[in-house]
Amino acid sequence: MKLLTHNMLTSHVRGVRPGGGFPLRIQATEVKVNNVDFNQEFVARMIPKVEWGALLEAAESLGHLSDLPHQLPPEYENNEDFLRKVHHVLLEVEVMEGILKCPDSGREFPITKGIPNMLLSEEEET
Amino acid sequence: MAEASGRAGPSLRYFCTAGRGLEPFLLREVRARLGATQVEYVSGKVFFTTNSELSKLKTLKSGERLFLLLKKHAPISLSSNKGKVFHEIQKLVIEDPRCWLDIVSKWKHLHGNKVKQGNISKENPKSLKRKSEEEISIITKKQKREQILETVSDECHMEEQKKTVVLETNNDMDLLSENKTFPEETSESRIEKSVESNKDSFSFRVSCRCSGTIAKVFTSQEVGRVLGITLIKQLGWKADLRNPDLELFVHLNDIYSVVGIPIFRLPLATREYIQTAGLRSTVAWAMASLAEISAGAFVLDPMCGLGTILLEAAKEWPNVHYLGADINDSQLQGAHENIKSAGLMDKIELLKASVIALPLPSESVDIVISDIPFGKKFKITKDIKLLPNILREMERVLHVGGTVVLLVSQDLHKHIGGCISNCVESDTSLNATSDNKNGAAVVKDLNPKEKNGSPRSISSSIQGVETEHFNNKITCFGSLAVVESYGVSLGKTDAFIYKYRKIPAAGMQ
Repeated sequence: MKLLTHNMLTSHVRGVRPGGGFPLRIQATEVKVNNVDFNQEFVARMIPKVEWGALLEAAESLGHLSDLPHQLPPEYENNEDFLRKVHHVLLEVEVMEGILKCPDSGREFPITKGIPNMLLSEEEET
Repeated sequence: MAEASGRAGPSLRYFCTAGRGLEPFLLREVRARLGATQVEYVSGKVFFTTNSELSKLKTLKSGERLFLLLKKHAPISLSSNKGKVFHEIQKLVIEDPRCWLDIVSKWKHLHGNKVKQGNISKENPKSLKRKSEEEISIITKKQKREQILETVSDECHMEEQKKTVVLETNNDMDLLSENKTFPEETSESRIEKSVESNKDSFSFRVSCRCSGTIAKVFTSQEVGRVLGITLIKQLGWKADLRNPDLELFVHLNDIYSVVGIPIFRLPLATREYIQTAGLRSTVAWAMASLAEISAGAFVLDPMCGLGTILLEAAKEWPNVHYLGADINDSQLQGAHENIKSAGLMDKIELLKASVIALPLPSESVDIVISDIPFGKKFKITKDIKLLPNILREMERVLHVGGTVVLLVSQDLHKHIGGCISNCVESDTSLNATSDNKNGAAVVKDLNPKEKNGSPRSISSSIQGVETEHFNNKITCFGSLAVVESYGVSLGKTDAFIYKYRKIPAAGMQ
């Protein structure tokens, strides 16, 4: 599970307050770092879709915050240096084994071989 | 026609077969991808001219088999005198033998003048193709139905296939009564033979198909035999049923007489990058091509199975974030293997999740593409009740303006018609008709086949008649409005591709 995907995931357990299921807290037991080809345009397009605070939080919990700024720099689209850092965090860091924890309910979703299991039991479904 | 440039070759004329329903996609694709000119669709084949190289031709995604056009004539005129008709068939060769030699040399040139062994397309020994078209490794066969697509056995290198070829061609030995010695030759000597042979000596195999009126009078076998013998006599070629230098494909029907040379050994639908195929790749690609995928998009397949749709999409539109979800572990495992062997691990991520309870925030996805599995392999059961929940969840996660492209079996299609009209009834803010009959009628009109009954006239669907129907009656599921739909064949079954767009909910909810 890459952090780009993590940034899209939310807990959907019954009873969770609206917005309370995001972002899922990561407890990783195995993290992999891959080499992914850098595509400037792609990264620039992803940034507006990403919840920046959640991304920073997730990166930090994995020890890959590096020196990402708390605020988006102005005109980041042309800031290759910045975009490369974002690229690294979004696409190159991958959680292979671990747990995603709903911040509201505490429900844990396991990650196995890079694939998070988000299935709910019938009682948990909204 | 374009002149031959440094890199691109001379302009050649081709024809390509397509699965039923995919013809409009193929027509679009040859123009867009190959810059093809003189594009026309006639009776199951798309004819076009292009100067594209072999490697480019190989990237066609919506076609079945590609052929170099050798001859396209008016249909063979039938008379009561069988001999006369045979003579007509022979004329295909005799009247212009140079044309045959010419095209053959063009074909060789296209393939870089290499020997046939291992040069054209790599075969993927692990691929388990979903058998959606009948693949027959036979030389000639009497055709009963117009639309059967025939794929001559290309996997001659593979042990099992070899046996099949031998078994089935045993009956056809009399096809070439003058040449009974060939099966004994080994493949090594075959190569030697081809290398040594000059332009005039060439080994070939004829694959013949007759349909329409001519099929009632002659078997494909007879026609193939006549042609084979004529070629041997006129051009000095040799016949080889097992591993010929050249395959010839002949199709005679009421509309034309066509002869072509297959460009590749394997059908275009066999993708090198797909290890285990789920949905037929041509249909998967066609669905992705409708989805309006653009750079930076977030694309979801919430019932991804083995991931075929995502693989086809990611190959064509790489700068996109793809997410596949499935509830089944073995499917996810298969998808993972597929993604890995295609080298698309950086593009496609997987999730174990249920399509009716997606762990995604509302309005977070740009595009949803999915093959709804119900009603294909198994009869529709209680799963059908989930359909509204599935559509609702897809609608929820989608951005306004986003698109949904679904593949729906014929059975399910009838139910969807019901779903749609039901929602239309309760939806007063939309200018829609609310009786079931209308809803069903709109859906029914989409498939031109039901209008004429017999071989569909393709022109109406090419012009996008489907879209017109929806202008007057907005057919919706919630805020998902149907944009267009295509009836396609999956081989043994029929299905429909539906495209929806999420429209702004005007003052509702």
